[in-house]
Amino acid sequence: MTSRRQLLKSALLGGGAGVVAATALGSLGPEAAFGAAAPDVAPGAPDPDFAEGRIRSVKENTLLVLGSNMVFHRIRIVDGTSLWKLGPTTFDQAKPGDGLYARGVRMPDGVLAAEAVWLNIVNIKGHVRNITAERIHLDHKGQQVLCHRVPGKSVAIYSDAPPSGDLSLLRVGQHVQVMGAWRPDTNEVDIATVFSAH
Amino acid sequence: MQGIAALQPYVISLFLLWAALLKLLDRRMRAQAGQTALAGLVGPARAVPALRLVGVLELAVAAALLLPPPSAAEGVAAAALSAGFLGYLAYAHRVAPTSSCGCLGAHSRPVDRRGFVRAGLLLAMSLVAIGAEPYPMDPSLVALGLAEAVVLLGLSAELDRHWLTPLRRLRVRLRRPLAPPSPGEVPLEVTLRLLYLSPAYCSASALLTSDVQDTWDEDGLRFVAYGAGRRTAVFAAPLAGGDPSAVRVALTEVPALT
Repeated sequence: MTSRRQLLKSALLGGGAGVVAATALGSLGPEAAFGAAAPDVAPGAPDPDFAEGRIRSVKENTLLVLGSNMVFHRIRIVDGTSLWKLGPTTFDQAKPGDGLYARGVRMPDGVLAAEAVWLNIVNIKGHVRNITAERIHLDHKGQQVLCHRVPGKSVAIYSDAPPSGDLSLLRVGQHVQVMGAWRPDTNEVDIATVFSAH
Repeated sequence: MQGIAALQPYVISLFLLWAALLKLLDRRMRAQAGQTALAGLVGPARAVPALRLVGVLELAVAAALLLPPPSAAEGVAAAALSAGFLGYLAYAHRVAPTSSCGCLGAHSRPVDRRGFVRAGLLLAMSLVAIGAEPYPMDPSLVALGLAEAVVLLGLSAELDRHWLTPLRRLRVRLRRPLAPPSPGEVPLEVTLRLLYLSPAYCSASALLTSDVQDTWDEDGLRFVAYGAGRRTAVFAAPLAGGDPSAVRVALTEVPALT
């Protein structure tokens, strides 16, 4: 891992071997930005390269996932797959019961080779009903959702201040949007980001 | 007990009077009638007339209770009205769990336990009021009446913004349950936000095929690696400072695989 990091660092800072495009400062050229092919999916048709559902079982490097439309997906995690669970995480954190969204490439045998997997990610809007120790009680359409602050991870984004780990400016009664990691089978969420209107 | 029975008509009637006047006079409440469970019960087109009808009924019962002489029929009417409220709440909870009840002013909160307790309390008070006979008021009865009114108001979610929200705000200000963490550690999300705003990320984002694969801090910089097809995109963002133009990016042939 360290050598790969050193390789990447030297690519960035010193123009090491294998650099395709790099900038001392600022952006890549427009040819890089427009280099990606547009997804080839007909409107309204399901995207074959996407899967969602809850993990039923984990076998070696494959997740068996039951989609909300009762379709099973086999999702293969490879070394380059990014996993998210309140932040970048490792494969051993994927547990049966976790919800997920996955994007990757559908192989001929039907397995989705995942490029990115987001575990338990949720995006909720609501009103702050109350704030207690390390917790925000969110009212989401009459349902109470308990949002936990995770020190070192949770970030607040205010409209008039740079993002920071300081959630103390949130007020009871205000409207917020919370992105976070659901704790499976509860009404509780660990906060990744909370967006505040002020 | 006679005193308590004699007291109930006053408390109930004042509460009903308030509910009736809101229904009959509050323009905002009429405007939101379509979003209440009442609209589900009688149809959206008839929601406003139904709201007015309930308001008139409440006004009539309140007037009968308030004006002498007391009679058992008044208590029965109030009890019937309260039982109707309870039935309506049960209907709303079952059939339209996301609609508000439209009981006491406009708000968007669905029917909850407090609404049921309030209607139940009103029903109990109405049943007690059936046996009401003229009885001289004394300070202890007045205090009890006030206490009942406070409980009824406390159970009204419509009024929370006037007392519960400020109270909670005060408690948050005093106790600081989300006191800022110790400075020094920069959460990854803060860096990612800076990244998203940077010209470097904007120019490379179309190539990215994964989320964050790896991240580490070195020399005051935070390195963030993403998969970009068979390649890897690595960003370096300053840990301190918020200038997006300081973010650098390189697209390398180092495979995404480790």
